[in-house]
Amino acid sequence: MADRDLQGAVVRFAGLLRRHGLPVTLVEVTDAARALGHLDLSDRNEVFLGLRAVLVSRVEEIPTFERCFNAFWRAARADDPVLRGLVAPPDDRGPEPAPVETPTVAGQRREGVALETWMADEEGDSAGEPLGVPSVSDRDALTTQDFSTFTAEQLDEIARLTIQLARRLARRASRRRRPAKRRGLVDLRRTFRANLTRGEIIDLRRRRRKQKKVRLVLLCDVSGSMDLYSRFLLQFLYALQNVFGRVETFTFATRLTRVTEHLRGRPYRQVLRRLTDVRDWSGGTRIGASLAEFNRQWGHLLDRRTIVIVLSDGWDTGDVDVLATELLRIRRRAARLIWLNPLLGNPSYEPLTRGMAAALPFLDWFAAAHNLESLRALAGALRL
Amino acid sequence: MRKEIQRIQELMEAADYVTDAPVATSVHLATILRKPLLIEGHAGVGKTEVAKVMARMLGATLIRLQCYEGLDAAMALYEWNYQKQLLHIKLEEGSGRPTEQKEAAIFSEPFLLKRPLLQAITQETSPVLLVDEIDRSDEEFEAFLLEIFSEWQITIPEIGTIKAAHPPHVILTSNRNRELSDALRRRCLYLWVDYPSFEKEVRIVERKVPGVNARLAREIARFMESLRAVRLSKVPGVAETLDWARALTALHADHLDAELVAETLGCVLKDADDVKRFRAEVASAGIGKFIPVEG
Repeated sequence: MADRDLQGAVVRFAGLLRRHGLPVTLVEVTDAARALGHLDLSDRNEVFLGLRAVLVSRVEEIPTFERCFNAFWRAARADDPVLRGLVAPPDDRGPEPAPVETPTVAGQRREGVALETWMADEEGDSAGEPLGVPSVSDRDALTTQDFSTFTAEQLDEIARLTIQLARRLARRASRRRRPAKRRGLVDLRRTFRANLTRGEIIDLRRRRRKQKKVRLVLLCDVSGSMDLYSRFLLQFLYALQNVFGRVETFTFATRLTRVTEHLRGRPYRQVLRRLTDVRDWSGGTRIGASLAEFNRQWGHLLDRRTIVIVLSDGWDTGDVDVLATELLRIRRRAARLIWLNPLLGNPSYEPLTRGMAAALPFLDWFAAAHNLESLRALAGALRL
Repeated sequence: MRKEIQRIQELMEAADYVTDAPVATSVHLATILRKPLLIEGHAGVGKTEVAKVMARMLGATLIRLQCYEGLDAAMALYEWNYQKQLLHIKLEEGSGRPTEQKEAAIFSEPFLLKRPLLQAITQETSPVLLVDEIDRSDEEFEAFLLEIFSEWQITIPEIGTIKAAHPPHVILTSNRNRELSDALRRRCLYLWVDYPSFEKEVRIVERKVPGVNARLAREIARFMESLRAVRLSKVPGVAETLDWARALTALHADHLDAELVAETLGCVLKDADDVKRFRAEVASAGIGKFIPVEG
């Protein structure tokens, strides 16, 4: 087979992988073509393993890669020394994203607009906040009002204020990270340099460990009424994300879904649809089972610098004992466990649901996240 | 199968490493394409072994950079030996040599402490550089490593730029305590090492535990296979299998029974909750799920 055919096939195969969500780069395509020159092309398994080593870069991609490989590189006939089956399958297009539906409820649509402009807003603001922008404190009435009570028009405004508040908090955090002069270990390298001409060590230079960034794991309930609050919390924390080492986000209703990848650098319309996709209206909420799934599959993300935030109203239709066991497990491994319950913003609310009552003993911080003021308080709990 | 890959498999087996096609193919491509190989997998599945065996196979020096939280460029590259420099200045105090000369003397190679990365680029032949547990280091360090990998040169202000004549073969391992950046992942070839299959684990036990009874080796491997299917918080790896096999061999066991398992379970399960879960599983499904029952 001509080299050019082989290269063309690799390029088309990479295209198929990309359409199925594998971010294959040009360098990898080149490497894949080079790799084929060092593999036995009559050994299908070897070609599979070789291309996998080059084109896959995390274990989660392996099943997708395997499916694409099987669809694209048909098995060579036993008597054929060269891969004959280098044909693209009749339909190698992945399911292309469907056109965005416009939700009928006015509130949902408006909120969609707000979230979508968030990314653009982020870039536009990089030159610094103009002085004329009204600060959050100028809008006290808005900061204490429950998110769910806003009209469609106000949601837009409140989303903007959320981002503004987050930016201000982020700036404060970065100013605070100034090293103290009299504390810390002696920095031999700089001390020595500074005293080089004297022959004696007079002036000690010190260094301090750089302040470690806190990492966040968010577990957001997106069932029913929680959905709106989840979006505000996400919006708030993502605007803060350069303060954190890393933000990992999961949503759950009856099942757990990792959405971190979907929140990174995507148009927000897609993100919103994604959040809506995982919503499951009929099944109720199985918090315990979702947390168990988290611990089993993603437990390795937790350590003593990771703060776990659960946002939910605590209505668990599953086994409450499971919830308690799984929360204990998180609590043992993470730095802090925070539960946000928007209902707590209602003065007459008491955490009496069975799920909430079972969860309380394991929490480091239990608060509402129903308005801007409570988001500000949350920032305090995150030691910002 | 390519002859080279077959040879790698043979060499690895000869170096007491029980291997399979995915490992051999990845190592083959990493050496041919001269790309770093990122190996991910659960703790105790023998990720680090691959680098050691690769070094032995290529007849190369193995240089190991163990990552940990707070590891920074200075600790990975080089440091000046300040104590030695100070001593030298004291000794030279009465010599009357000009300051420039003194300074040049103390900022020369004899006063340089080479850390793993500098060592790796100043070898006579290409060494194998093992960056172990990269997930324990900080994001900043990861970015710094990427920079080194693309140039293979290091600038020391007092000495100048050192460029590797023989760039090292690089193996990175990660237990996934932290997700690595996409940039790093895209630069590397990727190998996921899973828990071994039954047959592979039997071979590993027989190879690594001299004097192990053949029936015992199979029963241990079967036990581990069933145990890993139970939802545990710390799933035992191959390291645990080998510890256990050695312990049982030391006890002159030639097969598993319920009593022996109960006495030596500590070799395999290291979490109190997991022990409870195992007992619950035995109570509900019977010990027959894990070991052959007589009759």
